[in-house]
Amino acid sequence: MKTLTKLALVLIPTMALSLSATAHDPSLHVKKAEKADCSKMDHSKMDMKNPVAIAMMKKCMKQSKADDHKMKEMDHSKMKKIESKAAKKDDQEHNH
Amino acid sequence: MKIIKLLLVLFVLAIGSAATVMYSGIVNVAADEPHSNFVYWLLEETRERSISHAAKNIKVPDLSDPELLLTGGTDYEFMCASCHLKPGQSESDMSVGLYPAPPNLAISSKTHVGHEHDDDDEAARRNFWIIKHGIKASGMPAWGKTHDDQRIWAMVAFINQLYTLTPEQYQILTAID
Ligand code: HEC
Repeated sequence: MKTLTKLALVLIPTMALSLSATAHDPSLHVKKAEKADCSKMDHSKMDMKNPVAIAMMKKCMKQSKADDHKMKEMDHSKMKKIESKAAKKDDQEHNH
Repeated sequence: MKIIKLLLVLFVLAIGSAATVMYSGIVNVAADEPHSNFVYWLLEETRERSISHAAKNIKVPDLSDPELLLTGGTDYEFMCASCHLKPGQSESDMSVGLYPAPPNLAISSKTHVGHEHDDDDEAARRNFWIIKHGIKASGMPAWGKTHDDQRIWAMVAFINQLYTLTPEQYQILTAID
């Protein structure tokens, strides 16, 4: 068997498989242009030094600029205020 | 003289048995039939040695920019998640049907079996090389043919964080805006 034939034996099933693979699970191959679901963000748990948190904020801010009302869906009541965080830090420093 | 003759006979014999195995059709190339332990070890060892040799001089850029998670995330969702899964998903037709199986990149690399990663740079270098060049005779394509290095590094940065993400965080990071 030539290398080419062998390669074809491996590659053709692979390609055939990848074409049909997602066909059984419609939720997987219906790639709708979904928007970020920013209402699910829990700001109380977010650490603003974490790159993941920053990236999520960026994404949602960009999106909310595009359509303004989305912003209202964010749960800001749970957001920690920046001041309170700073105050906490101060407390700790003066504690000893 | 005798020894040369003997070597020649052995050589011809070796080629002969290799050819016999090849042409007899005894080798099973079906993806639903796993390799024997020996063949698996042989292939894995060859792959890992090859990758670490080829990747050893790659310079890892700063991967901490949050913006990288956004470009890398969208690319991952559209090009990789079907094989490598995402938070909250434990299998897909591809992850089950392909052999070698695509590893689940949404769980920590420390918990998936096969190999350990020495350190972060080492792992980043390895991932970059694999994404750019792909792996022969596996389902892993060479994305470097159609994507520049910067986009590939963004995916490397995203994969670094992927195992920490909840399904909701994943959705936000990977949605298109
Ligand atoms: C058609 C399925 C498929 C797609 C799509 C795919 N991969 Fe893979 N990938 C694989 C397979 C199979 C392997 C394992 C190859 C092996 O073990 O020899 C792999 C291996 C890898 C590895 C090495 C993992 C490890 O720790 O060993 C990385 C990293 C990776 N792929 C990243 C990606 C990225 C990023 C994308 C999207 C740009 C992607 N892959 C798209 C099938 C796929």
